[in-house]
Amino acid sequence: MKNREPGMTLIVKTITRLTVGLILLYGIYIVLHGHLSPGGGFAGGVIIALSFIHLMLAFGRDAALKKFSQAQASILESLGALMFLSIALLGFLGGYFFFNFFLHKGKPFELFSAGIIPLCNIAISLKVGAGLFAIFAVLVLFKKLGEKEQ
Amino acid sequence: MIEYILCLLLFCIGLYCVLRRRNIIKIIVGLGIIEYAVNLFFVLLGYRHYGRAPILAKDQTITNMVDPIPQALVLTSIVIGLAVTALIVAIAIRIYEKYGTFDITKIRRLKG
Repeated sequence: MKNREPGMTLIVKTITRLTVGLILLYGIYIVLHGHLSPGGGFAGGVIIALSFIHLMLAFGRDAALKKFSQAQASILESLGALMFLSIALLGFLGGYFFFNFFLHKGKPFELFSAGIIPLCNIAISLKVGAGLFAIFAVLVLFKKLGEKEQ
Repeated sequence: MIEYILCLLLFCIGLYCVLRRRNIIKIIVGLGIIEYAVNLFFVLLGYRHYGRAPILAKDQTITNMVDPIPQALVLTSIVIGLAVTALIVAIAIRIYEKYGTFDITKIRRLKG
């Protein structure tokens, strides 16, 4: 070990570089098909967060935080919550909370169908994905802060 | 009936782990085992013999399906369990910083 790089060995880094995009894509697929098949906002959001956590485990803390910093995570998390709330409040256009306000809802079992439910899934996935990544990042950063205090 | 007994056994393994171990990390693992035993119990309560997953699919009519209500409840429970685990791990990290050990018998003094 001459110059210690952050992260794991070359094998892990190579495999991570190959798979991390596929994991992210699979998470997005789960989110977008949430109203048709098992899955949805929470499961897809967890998979999206896991792709970034995978990056952090393989390449070290700084490489992952450069791609997706904590400030960005907190902004996206807040955006998800606000988006979900605004979708729910827009239901008052039709008369009540969480009203499915799209008039043309599309055919069942097609990608563009079910009105507001895919939008809700996207909001939940933003909230869950960013929130879970933020939890992991905070647990990693915790140690650094503790060392600084002493 | 045997499923419920095995579920209780899993719960007891978790309880033993929480009560008997001294390492905080092992206690956290025990809490996770208890949580999953309870989740498994709920899902088992909603099971019906030869029932299918309650998911509507194209060109299919499902006549015999399992109860979806416990599954929705367990999904919520998993989310809460995730948040609780994150909180416990954060507290465990703080304890390790303060005392320099994970052994609960050595964490006695009020410090700091």
